[in-house]
Amino acid sequence: MCGACMASEPRANERYVMSITKVFGIFAAVFAVAYTIAFEWHWELFSYHPRLGEFGWGQQASRGGPVMHWYGCLATAFFVAAAVSLATLPFLRKRCVPLWIGWAVPLLCIFAWFWFLRAFFIR
Amino acid sequence: VYTALLIVHGLLAVALLGGLTHQAFATLWPARQSGGFVSAYRSVSAARFTNVNITLYVVTFALGSYIYPAYRIAVRTWIENARLWQISGLFEMKEQSLAIGLGMLPFFWLVWKGQEGQQEGASSERAQMDDGPALRHRLVQFSGRPHRQ
Repeated sequence: MCGACMASEPRANERYVMSITKVFGIFAAVFAVAYTIAFEWHWELFSYHPRLGEFGWGQQASRGGPVMHWYGCLATAFFVAAAVSLATLPFLRKRCVPLWIGWAVPLLCIFAWFWFLRAFFIR
Repeated sequence: VYTALLIVHGLLAVALLGGLTHQAFATLWPARQSGGFVSAYRSVSAARFTNVNITLYVVTFALGSYIYPAYRIAVRTWIENARLWQISGLFEMKEQSLAIGLGMLPFFWLVWKGQEGQQEGASSERAQMDDGPALRHRLVQFSGRPHRQ
């Protein structure tokens, strides 16, 4: 059972709204996983050089100052999550998405981040 | 300018914290009457905080993202040079958790929208669109306590 199943037959526009909302859980899960992978494997869409105020595609080397990958990782995660959500939309007309996917997967990713960042605290 | 924005960012974050704790307390430990301070804190309609919390999250996040480069250049460089790894690690924790939370906002809205429909006795049409009964059932499972009618 899931949050998007219903007993009575909805109208066409309601079905569309329901399908859109059905993917929110998938979006949350994929966004978390994609962000984690993008950050760990350097799959950022772009990088930012704050000292120079310049952007560059993909992973960039330092140009005499720090390089910020965070914005690029957010962009990567957003596009991947949006693409996966849109791709799964047609399959969700008569199927249900378990609600736990929307919170359990991101929670696991946050725990994974605690593990990745442990070096900051055990030096 | 960045100092002023940082202060606003902090104030918005405190407001968000207040909204989220209101929502959490009203869900997990609801009170029917607002007798004392604690009861009044718990007796709010939790679902009504949803849009405010989402707005505060987005605005706080956007403001933090705007001032992040200044932090990266001036503050974090100093923190790393001073070898204050734990402080740097705490910021990293916050940064990654908030990024993941940003992706959860639509889902957060969906779950609370269903709850709101139930709390306020929404019309059957609205309840169908928001899948209220099933969502409420899930929320009851999440919270581990019976839901008030």
